[in-house]
Amino acid sequence: MFSKEKFQDFLAKLNTGYTPYVLILVHIMIGAIWVYSSPRSNVAFVVFISSLLTLYGLNTNKIFKLSAGLILALVVMPVLGVRNIFYLEIMFQISVFAALSLGLNIVIGFAGLLDLGYVAFYAVGAYLWGFFGSQQFYAIPYAPGIQPSDLPFLLPGDMFYLFIFIAIIVAALTGILLGLPVLRLRGDYLAIVTLGFGEVIRVLANNLDKPWNLTNGPQGITPVQRPTMPQFAVDGFNNFFGGIIGHTVSKADVYNVFFYLLALLVIVTIIQVVSRLNDSKIGRAWTAIREDETAAIAMGIPLVQMKLAAFATGASFAGAMGVLMAASRTFVSPESFSFMQSIGVLTMVILGGTGSIPGVILGAATVTVLNLQILQGFSLYLSQLRQSDAVIPIINFAWKNLSTQLDPAKYQRLLFGAILILMMIFRPAGLIPAARRQRELAADDEE
Amino acid sequence: MKRFSETINVRELLRPIGQMIAFSLGGGAVLSLVVVLLALLLDQTAVGQNLQARYSVSLVTYTLANLPQVLIDGLTIGFVYAAIALGYTMVYGVLEFINFAHSEIFAVGAFVGVEILIALKNAGILSAASLGVAYLILLLALLAGMTASGFLAVAVERIAYRPLRGAPRLVPLISAIGVSFFLQDIIRLVESLTTGQFNRIIPTFGNFDERLIFGQLPLGATTVVLGVQIKSLIVILVAVIMLVGLNYLVNATKIGKAIRAVAQDRPTASLMGIDVNRIISITFLIGGTLGGAAGVLYALKFTRIDPFVGFFPGLKAFTAAVLGGIGNLTGALLGGIVLGLLETFAGAFMSAFTMGAAGAEYKDIFAFGILILVLIFRPNGLMGENVSQKA
Amino acid sequence: MALLQAIDVTKRFGGLTAVNKMNFELKKGEIVSVIGPNGAGKTTFFNTLTGLYRPEEGKILFNGTSLIGLRPDQIAARGIARTFQNIRLFGNMSVIENVLVGMHFHLKQNMVSAILRFDSFKKEELEAEACAYELIKYVGIDTSLSNELAKNLPYGGQRRVEIARALAADPQLLLLDEPAAGMNPQETEEVTNLFRRIRDEKEITILLIEHDMRVVMRISERISVMDYGEKIAEGSPAQIRSNSHVIEAYLGRGAVAGQHEEMVK
Ligand SMILES: Nc1ncnc2c1ncn2[C@@H]1O[C@H](COP(=O)(O)OP(=O)(O)OP(=O)(O)O)[C@@H](O)[C@H]1O
Ligand SMILES: [Mg+2]
Repeated sequence: MFSKEKFQDFLAKLNTGYTPYVLILVHIMIGAIWVYSSPRSNVAFVVFISSLLTLYGLNTNKIFKLSAGLILALVVMPVLGVRNIFYLEIMFQISVFAALSLGLNIVIGFAGLLDLGYVAFYAVGAYLWGFFGSQQFYAIPYAPGIQPSDLPFLLPGDMFYLFIFIAIIVAALTGILLGLPVLRLRGDYLAIVTLGFGEVIRVLANNLDKPWNLTNGPQGITPVQRPTMPQFAVDGFNNFFGGIIGHTVSKADVYNVFFYLLALLVIVTIIQVVSRLNDSKIGRAWTAIREDETAAIAMGIPLVQMKLAAFATGASFAGAMGVLMAASRTFVSPESFSFMQSIGVLTMVILGGTGSIPGVILGAATVTVLNLQILQGFSLYLSQLRQSDAVIPIINFAWKNLSTQLDPAKYQRLLFGAILILMMIFRPAGLIPAARRQRELAADDEE
Repeated sequence: MKRFSETINVRELLRPIGQMIAFSLGGGAVLSLVVVLLALLLDQTAVGQNLQARYSVSLVTYTLANLPQVLIDGLTIGFVYAAIALGYTMVYGVLEFINFAHSEIFAVGAFVGVEILIALKNAGILSAASLGVAYLILLLALLAGMTASGFLAVAVERIAYRPLRGAPRLVPLISAIGVSFFLQDIIRLVESLTTGQFNRIIPTFGNFDERLIFGQLPLGATTVVLGVQIKSLIVILVAVIMLVGLNYLVNATKIGKAIRAVAQDRPTASLMGIDVNRIISITFLIGGTLGGAAGVLYALKFTRIDPFVGFFPGLKAFTAAVLGGIGNLTGALLGGIVLGLLETFAGAFMSAFTMGAAGAEYKDIFAFGILILVLIFRPNGLMGENVSQKA
Repeated sequence: MALLQAIDVTKRFGGLTAVNKMNFELKKGEIVSVIGPNGAGKTTFFNTLTGLYRPEEGKILFNGTSLIGLRPDQIAARGIARTFQNIRLFGNMSVIENVLVGMHFHLKQNMVSAILRFDSFKKEELEAEACAYELIKYVGIDTSLSNELAKNLPYGGQRRVEIARALAADPQLLLLDEPAAGMNPQETEEVTNLFRRIRDEKEITILLIEHDMRVVMRISERISVMDYGEKIAEGSPAQIRSNSHVIEAYLGRGAVAGQHEEMVK
């Protein structure tokens, strides 16, 4: 008979010995081949990237995990991504949002401070490079729309790399400036004030086209430069992967691969930084503050200083990602930094598990895929139905008559809202709850 | 007469009216004084010359000419904020929790009211309505908005907040943010499916758009018409009636006493035989009802609504509640009126005083500046009392 | 010189004066108890000493320097550690992490060294871990529980973790707020001995609030009695036992009133 215990036994068996290795490889193969052969299928892509989950979750040794992950990220994904550039875009977005989520996770998950204006720091990074990496400096005297098109660029595109670091510092400083006055506040007030700060940044971005044109207003700044891409890199990529991809890869696509890899690099760095901080007196102090502020301060933890550190660290990640985003899009505009974006990132953190590094990455991936693939896929499907003669049986409603205003791709709020409510009620710790580090305790052997 | 005052506590009816008048006059007078003084000071400077060049009026004339309308507008929006702020403050008083979804409760009220009016218009009833009927119809729309919002607020509490009672503070807050976002898109979904669009405009009917003219004031080259739109008067009047009613309910009835008891000390109130859950539901009902009415009034005043219409009024009303001292009913009144006035003054005069560098486009974030300042310098608000944490 | 000196310390909550002109002195190496009926202001007094509350009036001197106006974390860094009446552990952190948090201001690591994992960082972490582990043993917790979440420990265990966490700060003065509350007689006996060992072996001065008279009488060298925010008596256990004010404060109210009058006679 079927029983829960037997099922769990079965699962446990799947997770021992060589079986997990086989399962992972099979999953990766199926996903990769499927995506390779039908690059437009959404299902195939979901199957493919979920292999990362299998890889993460199943019980295999570290070297296998690491090498499989590396091959997936550095070889398989670029190849598949170039065949359908949309996937590369999704992977890039996942990386960007994962970085933002990891940053917000420090603030919310570790230190327990609800920051509802987090994308403001992202905006700081994006506008920093948006301003210095474009012609905007020379466009200051001109109102939006009337600047001459032949203005020079202020800095060479390769300054991009330097600006990633500058953005880290500037965003961290912004975090400290905002944090200093407000971090003494109670948690729920802090949430509203940060929300306000986020709106302030957005409104400033919208309106600082006068008296001096610093942001070019609602139209945004474009073109923002990318770092240079040498021809040999394009040729090299083609020589190496051209055969298996099946067509010559353009420079634009190599750029996409480049930004994807760069985002990946940033993510890996962030993960390292976050987990190392978490496993030091700083991380312990953050968690202590989250658990009980009064006890923490009585134990000698300087509250404001540690909260500022959390704010600044979280902000710096967003700042770095902002620069990356501005360059990859060659465009910044206030729209990308709305309150909804902040809530989107919050949703990722909550869904994945506050305080849990693998959790928030999963959260970022899930929400991004839901957002970019499922909702948009649904939209596409509806618009196809609208063009057909199909009718809903029983109520006899012709799809044709369905309002064109109904576009599921625009219903992100519904998605975010539903996730937030359901998670809070049913699984407040998230999909992958945070686990405390188990210490080996060398001292144990003494006795 | 004696019997009457025994059953109805006249003092509790008059007190809030007095407070509202005091807050309105006081706030209005102070701000007017400030801008007029500023205008006098800056008239001969570059600021005055800049205005002269742009509009060919002197700064002082400009200020004085705009002042009456600014005061009326400020008060109108101030009373709307106050009505919304009461919803935040009551819930905060009882549960120590920011009902982030209150702004959508407000929006739903606006939509229900407006949809009813649109339906009546499409049925040809609005255009045929006499003045008396028009007022009745407006009342109907108000009541419908109030009912819908009231029950929605109760439902939201039951579904999304009650299961989380006792969880860490941020948990219900995050749930409330979720509800807020969820409801925005639900409104949009329902409107899209049923009407095909989600930006709605309140139909014009009755004489609400007309202006009552009190007189004219010659002012140098220009004459200022002293008048007020009837709908502004309606907004203020309805808000005042509701605020007085609420104050009475909370301070002079048995239910009000129970609400205050639960706000003071929930466990003890529960031991005393008060059904805490019922009182919390009633609190949400009252707050939601006020929010719904504020929604309809807002639509009447600003005519256009969309599913996201609640966001800014909601945040500003929250600011108003904090400004006044959260948990404190009189504070919410004060905060709403002061914030409405401040914001309208800033929106109207900032451009003139900054030589056009910054103007009304910063109106929406102006409130946040105030919020931050209040929280830093007077975190318990203008009227709030000090509550320190117990160790 | 006195280690701790409180002079005319007054703390009010609105109309209520929770601590009223409290004068108090503590010498290095003493074990002193503060007793008094519920609501007497004992915990409030502790909170003013540790900077959680700022007294309206009075002076507090620790090693001769004033503590007034310092933040709680600064006071902790000066060498005063405490436990709480209603245990305040970091429930979702492991036992050993709780203890490590207590060492926060002794650890020299910073963001840079933590991220780059310098050798000095690794060494310090290992030492801290070993030290935390010793403390866990010291307060009598089974070391196999080190990785357990603090909230999963039984009540008595949590009280001990709180003491270990306070000891981790390597204080000169340890404030214990009802450390034996809710313990069974055997546990009470154990922690009483533990307190004495802490004083004797670690040379930490101890000030404790306790309702359990067996603990108080056995361990204290001096007892201070509070009632309605004021110190009504002070002296050796024997003196306090026979002090009529004290008996009145404790027993003079409520059902046992008649019985105690006989006792006084
Ligand atoms: N944060 C506070 N706000 C208002 N009143 C307070 C606060 N903390 C304590 N009190 C009041 O101060 C008085 C003293 O309280 P305190 O907790 O210091 O007493 P205690 O002697 O520790 O009592 P117990 O033995 O019950 O712990 C009590 O009346 C209490 O209600
Ligand atoms: Mg106490």
